[in-house]
Amino acid sequence: MKILIIEDEPEIAQSIKNYFRTNGIQCETAENYDLALSKIESYDYDCILLDLMLPDGDGFDILRELKRKNKTDGVIVVSAKETLETRLEGFNLGADDYLTKPFHLSELLVRMQALIRRKNFKGCNSITFNEIVIDIFSKSVTVNTIKLDLTKKELDLLLFLIGNENKVLSKSAIAEHLSGDMADMLDNHDFIYAHIKNLKKKLHQAGSSDYIKTVYGLGYKWENEE
Amino acid sequence: MKNKKLLNKTTNSFLAYAIIILLIAAPLFYFICQQLYIYETDEVLHFHKGAFIKESHKDFTQTDIDLWNKYNNEVMIVPDMGVSSDSIVGKILYDSIAKEKEPFRVLYAPVNINGKRYTYTEKINLLEMEGMVFSIAAMFLFIIIVLLIGIIWISKATAAKIWSPFYNTLNQIQDFEIDKNKPPRFISTDIDEFDRLNKSLERLIEKNTVIYKSQREFVENAAHELQTPLALFQTKIDTLTQLDLNEQQSSLVASLNMDVSRLNRLNKNLLLLSKIDNESFLEKNTIVLNDYIKKHLDFFTEQANAKNLTIITQFTSTLSITGNLALTEVLINNLFLNAIRHNEKNGKIIITTLENELIFLNSGQNTSLKIEKLFNRFSKTNPSSQGNGLGLAIIKKITELNRWKISYTFDNNLHSFSVKF
Repeated sequence: MKILIIEDEPEIAQSIKNYFRTNGIQCETAENYDLALSKIESYDYDCILLDLMLPDGDGFDILRELKRKNKTDGVIVVSAKETLETRLEGFNLGADDYLTKPFHLSELLVRMQALIRRKNFKGCNSITFNEIVIDIFSKSVTVNTIKLDLTKKELDLLLFLIGNENKVLSKSAIAEHLSGDMADMLDNHDFIYAHIKNLKKKLHQAGSSDYIKTVYGLGYKWENEE
Repeated sequence: MKNKKLLNKTTNSFLAYAIIILLIAAPLFYFICQQLYIYETDEVLHFHKGAFIKESHKDFTQTDIDLWNKYNNEVMIVPDMGVSSDSIVGKILYDSIAKEKEPFRVLYAPVNINGKRYTYTEKINLLEMEGMVFSIAAMFLFIIIVLLIGIIWISKATAAKIWSPFYNTLNQIQDFEIDKNKPPRFISTDIDEFDRLNKSLERLIEKNTVIYKSQREFVENAAHELQTPLALFQTKIDTLTQLDLNEQQSSLVASLNMDVSRLNRLNKNLLLLSKIDNESFLEKNTIVLNDYIKKHLDFFTEQANAKNLTIITQFTSTLSITGNLALTEVLINNLFLNAIRHNEKNGKIIITTLENELIFLNSGQNTSLKIEKLFNRFSKTNPSSQGNGLGLAIIKKITELNRWKISYTFDNNLHSFSVKF
């Protein structure tokens, strides 16, 4: 999988690159408008992460350029601009998702995975992790063909954990992911503990291995034992 | 003391002056008229006497005098009363025609008839004077009153006209709010002072609006600019989280994580406030608050579980309002989270919807919050709390924007926040 990070802040680009690399994602970076355009013209990417404010151009122009060239690269806009208008304009110009800065790398990763899944959707849309199979379309989870009865939040949590395989997820990252639009309001992230506990219990009862590890004080980790 | 209106104040002094003048003038006028009439009467008496001496008396015999006295009532020639010169006195005498006592002017003058001394007396009834003096005085008073009323009315009318630019300016300034309306447009005036007043006000407002705007922009820009370093901070912490950390390092990173999300929240709230100021939320919809609360009850219950709170909803009526959807959501979320945040363990939250009112009741500290600063930015009753001191300021701002009314009361150990729509 290959993605392009168009971001003028090299440290952010580097952090994304480092985080994604271990999940088998190849990242290229472009720190300005011209470089971004030339890369887009030469290659096809599974996904483009686009910062709207570039030193030599407007991120929206890149979206227009992609549209003009009939490119089908998925685009996630990552911007500090947060008004409804910029959001809508982004979507109108063909962006697939919109993430406001600051963001958690884990959040960006699952959003990107979801986007790529949607793009590559060919009748079947499921994620398999060892004995666990998640059908995104019907929102059902099976462990060794035993169907799990998960709440919407637990399914969301499972996808988030698996998507960030072998990554330590802080409580705040999980809490913000689960709260969606309400994330900005949260000042207490302890509620995720109950969800983790329930998910763990349900997976265990269905005979799944114990993949969810607690990282002392920090949060949780979906650990692939192999 | 109750404030008086400017126009009333000037006419009031006019009126007072008019009344004083009237009170003094009425008796004075009467007195002067009376004196004038008496003077004129005396003149007539002297004139009659002069004519009598000149024309008729020289060859009067005693018989003539008796006859004269018989046919004359007013003028009498009586034996010498010992008067040496002409003298006029006012007397109250019995009037045989009117059959009652009436005021008279009586002249006593010494006359010589055929070498014998007599006293000439003439009396004039002053009865006519009473009526005449009274009607003259009344007429003059009437004229004075009409004059005064006219003066007062004209001065009031012209004053109202003269002061009208002033009142126009006053009304416009009264309605002006720096964060809302457009600057006032004063009507032009040819009165120098008002023109100066208007120009000074215009300058003042213009300058303050510019300062206010730049301050507002500053908050917004600062909040925007903070997002990039915050993003750097966040991604670096995320990267740090992935390292092989010992317990001490883990707990440090965990608390850093809390700090950065707190900073982030603060920043977003500041952005929200400045966006409300910039009127980014003008679109209005009809929102059924009961539905919104029901829809998000799970989320809040989840948050409330940490403190084992009981949430009771009393939807006595369907509360349907018109407002901006995003802001209304923020309003309710803030009220709800406030009720959770400042609650005690095993406490409760009661949400009531009335026909046009939404009430959040919550248990918590056992004393009332200080109302004066409650809705100010960054005023925190409990400095250690997780809140950033903007929640209530945002609530206030949203209610102000929509002309709703937020109020806080503390009753039965329950804190109550009510929004009247």
